[in-house]
Amino acid sequence: MTTPLPTGVPVEADLPTVTTTRAPAVEASGRTRPRRRRRPVRWISSSIAIVFCVVWIFPVYWMVNTAFKPRSEAMTSTPLFLPAHPTVENFVTAFTRADFLVYLRNSSIVVVGAVVLSLVLGILASAALSRFRFRGRRTILVVILLVQMLPGTALLIPQFLIFTQTGLIGSYFGLILAYVAAVLPFSIWVMRGFFLAIPMEVEEAARIDGASTWQVLTKVLFPLVMPGVIATSVFAFIAAWNDYIVAYTFMQDQSHYTLPVWLASFTTQTTGTDFTGQMAASVLFALPVVVFFMIIQRNLVSGMSAGAVKG
Amino acid sequence: MSVSALRTRPHRPGKAPRPQRRAGRRSFAPLWLLTPAGLVLLFVTVAPIVFLVFTSFTDYDQRTLYTGAYNAVGLGQYVQILSDPAFWASLVRTVLFTAAMVIGSVLIGAGVSHLMTRLGVVLRYAVTIVLIFAWGMPNVASSLVWKWLFQPGYGVVNWLITQLHVFGDFTNTDWSNSPGLAYTSIWMLVVWQAVPFIALTLYAAETQIPLEVKEAVRLDGGSEWTVYRVVTMEYLRPTLLLVTMLSIIWDFNVFNQIWLVSQGGPDGATSTLGVFTYITAFVGHDIGTGSAIAVIAALILMALSALYIRNLVRSGEDL
Repeated sequence: MTTPLPTGVPVEADLPTVTTTRAPAVEASGRTRPRRRRRPVRWISSSIAIVFCVVWIFPVYWMVNTAFKPRSEAMTSTPLFLPAHPTVENFVTAFTRADFLVYLRNSSIVVVGAVVLSLVLGILASAALSRFRFRGRRTILVVILLVQMLPGTALLIPQFLIFTQTGLIGSYFGLILAYVAAVLPFSIWVMRGFFLAIPMEVEEAARIDGASTWQVLTKVLFPLVMPGVIATSVFAFIAAWNDYIVAYTFMQDQSHYTLPVWLASFTTQTTGTDFTGQMAASVLFALPVVVFFMIIQRNLVSGMSAGAVKG
Repeated sequence: MSVSALRTRPHRPGKAPRPQRRAGRRSFAPLWLLTPAGLVLLFVTVAPIVFLVFTSFTDYDQRTLYTGAYNAVGLGQYVQILSDPAFWASLVRTVLFTAAMVIGSVLIGAGVSHLMTRLGVVLRYAVTIVLIFAWGMPNVASSLVWKWLFQPGYGVVNWLITQLHVFGDFTNTDWSNSPGLAYTSIWMLVVWQAVPFIALTLYAAETQIPLEVKEAVRLDGGSEWTVYRVVTMEYLRPTLLLVTMLSIIWDFNVFNQIWLVSQGGPDGATSTLGVFTYITAFVGHDIGTGSAIAVIAALILMALSALYIRNLVRSGEDL
């Protein structure tokens, strides 16, 4: 939007204005016709945008609102749009009585394990698939993309059987491997894009100086691709952190539940769902992901098209 | 895989690679770089897929897990599935529901993206933040929030609808108890989370459209609608195609939201192919039949993905 515009093009529609209800301060003389026609559009657009924002943020607002309510204020026939007596009691309960920390630890073990393993394996593989040409390369790339698009149950069923027979079921390591299966293909794909962006000349210069293939990789390419590794690790983190169904199927022992499985199990408790507690736990669970999304939002669009974060 | 080490130039546009071979030098680098990932993927991805196809031809069930006993049944399960009305109902349901979700999210996404181009900085920033919040919510969390929003007796959406005095008293309506309402609420949930990606991707593409072209149409007396139809749509087409195809693949695979909101109920009414497979294999413990359904679902998705990949290659992705 800030790119310089060629002369002769009315620019007022793209000029930043602080208040949307006021006309832009800059007068572009001689171009009143298109502007007069567009001013009501700006009004309408702004109103639609405000309505959209209110509707789209509402579920998030309601989650946070409920999380800070005492239970008696959540279960009312006329909903309270702000807690009358805001409380952090629900968060305290999550930490003290509901063993939030146990499930946070379980989630952290499997997520960190899966992310580290995928990145180490992925960085090597994506280097091979981007900086070298060899027979079978295209086939591997197509297979990686296809695997990424498989329905979840197509891997879940046989993994469940194989892991049961090899004793991996219910263990953190088994879950880590299942997440690697989900995360490694797109990690390779995304990191390959970052490798491709490094100019060939950089590599050639190192080779002329007598660097071996391994030195070119570790001293030249890997440091240059680090921003890509970080972006990829965020994608991998989100995918593993958000998984519900694999952990739900594999981890039958409640002490091994991950955060999403524990969160969802709130609903099946016999005493009826503790909605304020569940919303407080949801806030804690969603917070790191939303923060990550804010940080990497510029990379999100390109990463998503490789199937990184499944809807 | 062959390992004639041929180094490459990144982002070479042409198809036929004419590699610059370094004289007298053959490297095994790609081989050892790919081996670790290859071995792990062999165990966690390739072997399971082969095993899935194998079990789809057997009567594998829960008992087999402990005794190891199973019988080969050949195509029996496929015949049984393809003659099972419940499977066809589930397939039709999946296709229709996927279509509804894709159409809803692409239309709203395109609308929001265009809306963003006509906003001031502050509002555009606000819309972006709101989109990222909706996008960033883990779908387990958002599914649970949805159940709470639509809770009979206390749900705020029930209350809001009742206040409208148009649809009658919704206070005690149980959304997961009626097929139409269950679909409606899950549709809203999926669309709510799908719109941000589509809107932001399309917006990124829309800001690349040269203003001169739009202005030329305006000077020729074209209305804003004509500008959108003739210029914007033309420039957005490749991106639009890409996000639509991805949406189809993702929405076809939607599982968590349905599982957590309605469990495929009431009475199997929201049991799409993924849920149907899961219930057959893990609730009914009929793993063989579940595998066969998963194979069929995988084949459908492979076909869709092949279209997507072909499009990706055409749009200039260098494989």
